[in-house]
Amino acid sequence: MAIPLSQAFTVATYVLRQKLRGNKHYPLVLMLEPLFRCNLACAGCGKIQYPEHVLKRRLTPEECWAAAEECGAPIVSVPGGEPLIHPEMPEIVRGLVERKKYVYLCTNALLMERKLDEYTPSKYLTFSVHMDGLREEHDIAVCRGGVYDIAVGAIKAALARGFRVTTNTTLFEGANPERVRKFFDAMMDLGVEGMMISPGYSYQKAPDQEHFLRRNRTKELFAAILTDRKKHWDFNQSPLFLEFLMGKRDYQCTPWGNPTYNIFGWQRPCYLLQDGYAATFKELIETTDWDRYGTGRNEQCADCMVHCGYEPSAVHDTFSSWSAFTRTAKLTFVPNAR
Amino acid sequence: MPQEQQAHELGRPQWEGLVFRFKNQIGLFEVIEAAFDYRGDVSLELKDGSRIDGYIFNREPQGAEPYIQLFPKDEAGTKAIKYADIVAIEFTGEDTAFGKSWAAWVAKSEALRTAEAERTRAEAEARGDL
Repeated sequence: MAIPLSQAFTVATYVLRQKLRGNKHYPLVLMLEPLFRCNLACAGCGKIQYPEHVLKRRLTPEECWAAAEECGAPIVSVPGGEPLIHPEMPEIVRGLVERKKYVYLCTNALLMERKLDEYTPSKYLTFSVHMDGLREEHDIAVCRGGVYDIAVGAIKAALARGFRVTTNTTLFEGANPERVRKFFDAMMDLGVEGMMISPGYSYQKAPDQEHFLRRNRTKELFAAILTDRKKHWDFNQSPLFLEFLMGKRDYQCTPWGNPTYNIFGWQRPCYLLQDGYAATFKELIETTDWDRYGTGRNEQCADCMVHCGYEPSAVHDTFSSWSAFTRTAKLTFVPNAR
Repeated sequence: MPQEQQAHELGRPQWEGLVFRFKNQIGLFEVIEAAFDYRGDVSLELKDGSRIDGYIFNREPQGAEPYIQLFPKDEAGTKAIKYADIVAIEFTGEDTAFGKSWAAWVAKSEALRTAEAERTRAEAEARGDL
């Protein structure tokens, strides 16, 4: 089991509390984007293409903490941009940890090793390192040679110091299942706690428009990768979401599950689409027309099977029926269970 | 010739460099949607004759007084401007999403591959393997 029991317990009790209150639109993971500046320009990323004066802007620590408190989600994922560029990131993380938020600091790891001293190991802090495959595939995906080796070095250094480390992997059209399986072996051999995988979203603003996965191809690819899973592979995500990626179950999107806060405000409707911004989380939840988004409802959502919309659906499902709960438990301990 | 087509023939992204002047509300909403989607700065000419350059990050077309929100280019904070106060929009800034980085990477990869092939050839030749 990749996720520590204390974290699983926190999330489980949080979800059950929301259900008991009859709260339909509850957040699970706050996607906190404190800046859009990055030190890479990955081919599949549509997040960082802004004018220079926008890239200079950053959320303050106080704004980050206020967003986390206002939202109330037990987990805070910090993507970007590259969060480690933010000069106040150690302070931001400290404040989130003090608030007992489980923080996933998403990084390409280029600066990670030299910045480790600024952070303190904690069960609440995980470095989530962007790794899109083995050396060749990763360096192509991030459009720069040598990045894979730097990231591997940083992962080793962080693990040696007692930090929690996971990987996050985005897969695109043309991914070779056998190479991806070898990549999983390599990451687990490094000693990471778990891996997160997701198909890429077809950002309109990304440089490479040719390699985004269509829905059927996503299912074929993930079925090829995840069937006959090796025992030592651990995934830091819902087993039901992995079944969804393999085409074994169907979900509608839960766009409010991973709400996004950044320098523009609370992003409608999700981490991937930019259909406007709300000034407060309450306004986001109460004034967004959620029925306009998701598979079959919006052409921009047609091929999306990304974790930020569908993992909350899987988690919600886990706690919606006894059969889904027992299925989750079974898959957690026996990943290849029929 | 439509302005968009002209812009393409100049080798620029679709909206970059275009100017839209509104004598009435017709077309204003559509162009504001495009400006909201645009990943570059725009220059707004307002009813009072003033101009403001910045990045439009939000728009609220519903309600009694539709408005946009932008980050001014040369000052901190945000500004909200009513649709009704806008008389012209110029797409002045570079469209930062006009995908250059992928093409640059492909070019670089090919150059690296060529260099590696040449090095391999030279080494093989030196060893007498060629």
